[in-house]
Amino acid sequence: MKGRVRAAVILGTVIGLMAGCAAGDRTKTEAGTVTLVFKHGKIAGPPDAFRGLLDRFEAEHPGIRVRDESLPSSTDQQHQFYVISLDGRSADFDVLSMDVIWVQEFARAGWIRDLSPLLPPEERAAFFSGPIEAVTFEGHIYAVPWYIDAGLLYYRKDLLDKYGIAPPRTWEELVGAARTILDGQGDPRLTGFLWQGKQYEGLICNALEYIESAGGHVLDRDGKLVLAGPPARRALTFMRDLTVRYKVSPPLVTTADEETTRRIFGDGRAVFLRNWPYAWNLFERKDSKIRGKIGVVPLPGFSGYSPAATLGGWQLGVNRRSRHPEAAEALIRFLTSAPIQKATALEIGYKPVRKALYRDGELLRAQPFFLDLYDVFLTARPRPVTPYYLMLSQVMQPEFSAALVGLKSPETALADAQLQMSHILFGRAGT
Amino acid sequence: MRPDERRLGYALVGPAVLVLTAVALLPILAAAGLSFQRRMPIFEIGEYVGLANYRFLAGDPRFWNSLFNTAYFTIVSVILELAAGLAIAVLLDRPFSGRGWMRAVLLVPWAIPTVVSARMWEWLYNGEFGLLNYLLRATGLSVEPVNWLGNPHWAIHAAILMDVWKTTPFAALLLTAGLQTVPRDLYRAARVDGAGPWEIFRRIMLPALKPMILVVLLFRTLDAFRVFDAVYVLTGGGPANTTETLSIYAYKVLFQTLQFGYGSALAVTAFLCVALISLVYLALLGREYWKRMLA
Repeated sequence: MKGRVRAAVILGTVIGLMAGCAAGDRTKTEAGTVTLVFKHGKIAGPPDAFRGLLDRFEAEHPGIRVRDESLPSSTDQQHQFYVISLDGRSADFDVLSMDVIWVQEFARAGWIRDLSPLLPPEERAAFFSGPIEAVTFEGHIYAVPWYIDAGLLYYRKDLLDKYGIAPPRTWEELVGAARTILDGQGDPRLTGFLWQGKQYEGLICNALEYIESAGGHVLDRDGKLVLAGPPARRALTFMRDLTVRYKVSPPLVTTADEETTRRIFGDGRAVFLRNWPYAWNLFERKDSKIRGKIGVVPLPGFSGYSPAATLGGWQLGVNRRSRHPEAAEALIRFLTSAPIQKATALEIGYKPVRKALYRDGELLRAQPFFLDLYDVFLTARPRPVTPYYLMLSQVMQPEFSAALVGLKSPETALADAQLQMSHILFGRAGT
Repeated sequence: MRPDERRLGYALVGPAVLVLTAVALLPILAAAGLSFQRRMPIFEIGEYVGLANYRFLAGDPRFWNSLFNTAYFTIVSVILELAAGLAIAVLLDRPFSGRGWMRAVLLVPWAIPTVVSARMWEWLYNGEFGLLNYLLRATGLSVEPVNWLGNPHWAIHAAILMDVWKTTPFAALLLTAGLQTVPRDLYRAARVDGAGPWEIFRRIMLPALKPMILVVLLFRTLDAFRVFDAVYVLTGGGPANTTETLSIYAYKVLFQTLQFGYGSALAVTAFLCVALISLVYLALLGREYWKRMLA
């Protein structure tokens, strides 16, 4: 018996070593072929779908092989990986996928290649304008949008219909609708409106949607800091009032992220939800309690102002130290081409960055929901487009959080944030 | 010791010293070196600024806030862990059927990866779904749901409770081991002399456990002071930075805003605090004990 166990262990080790060698061989450049390394976050959808697309690229481009490597699913960890590798002049990967808020930073640092030739001005018009703005640094394009995301308002169609209420177009209407339904239902387990108020990047995404739909901005067109002002004050006051005055949002929103709110809404326990498009497919799954009972509309704005969904999504760039920049650009051109964008949408569910696809019959038949998304993506606004963005966000997060939980008045929180932000932008450039 | 023996001793210790230098000392020195620079790679800034980062740190309210949070978290959680660990160790010292099982089960929270248990607690604390609020309602202790992680006064205590749940087993295990060293005859003799359970605990168990208690305190204090993953997953430092610890602040400055110089100054400060705590404990542990350990 003992002997058999030992034999099994030895066999296992040998097989492991052989597999290791085989994997090692794949990374080596065979004569005449280059191997691109493509780093990206976890790919949603069926596991083979994405590899299938890359296989298609390899078939169309003999001589180029693509090794795709997944990074941890946490966005913060991906950012950390890229920062350490790129600052360390690593050439271990060629193509990288970047969150919409990183491109300015990476471009300013000189870590990614200027990809302007990939997207000549006439080509840019085919894309949504928000992502194009986010990837443009000092007039040059540093990444090509890959897929797009934006904040949406999900609502319970069945409940709104029952009370004869149309989906709200303003924040005030949303409060009124939630109030009517909550009072009418009299269900203590039902809550009105869920959103993300935990101290993290998502809080900034949420807060900017109120601030900009009240006519406010963080930076104006000339890059002047204009956050602290009546619109932002109105926005933060309103967000706090959602829980304490109108009582349509439960107190837990001050610690909620996307998944927390998605689950409560998915359990049928909320009338409205602010979330990203990914939640739709989960709500429409066969085992979902609210399947067929929901609708989506653009987020409301304050009356008299247009709504301002925060832009999300991922962009593809090339490591400046890549040894195969032409092959890397070919891969990006392939992944962002109209046919592959359509295939990605159909097979993985990622939302295309090319506007024309939202009129594609086949795509709309498979994903009718895309029709509702078009207007949202068309007007989605990038977070402040500056290499300093991540620093500014780190300042705003605790200040906005303090205003939401009532530790500071909106005035004080905004004034404190503005002071620290002006120190970052115009004082000494960091310490 | 003969000279050649001494030489052999150095030769044998040499590789270990080299490895320690390479993996521990050099990174610490590198971080200390960075902390004297203003270094922000995205703006191609990298210059020597002497103590400027530390001067800025002294006047940075966010640093003092995080230091206070860290100290509060450490003191409260370590005291609770020691008390609970001691109670469990004393209970487990009595022979009863299933004691082996109890000891094994006790280790479960300690064995779960921190990030996983933090996610689990996040749901326990959830204001709507959470088990904790359900229990409060069911027992009539509180009708209104408590917003454990979203309320600035509750959040740090929620993080402490999770840490206590997770690491009490570690304290209990070490203290149980400490109690094994007490000869059973002592208890019997004490009982013959008319000592009650409290007397036995105070006069026999506690003195015998003293070195082990210090070891527990040392390990737990250092761990708690460096706390990162548990709190980061649970609250991200919020609401309004009320749970932002020194490690979390350093992480945000280093890897989210890429201020390598100032971030390193924060990290070095955290390191100095930890080093200081260790020195205090080592002094408390006493020369006698260390002579025994090193002998």
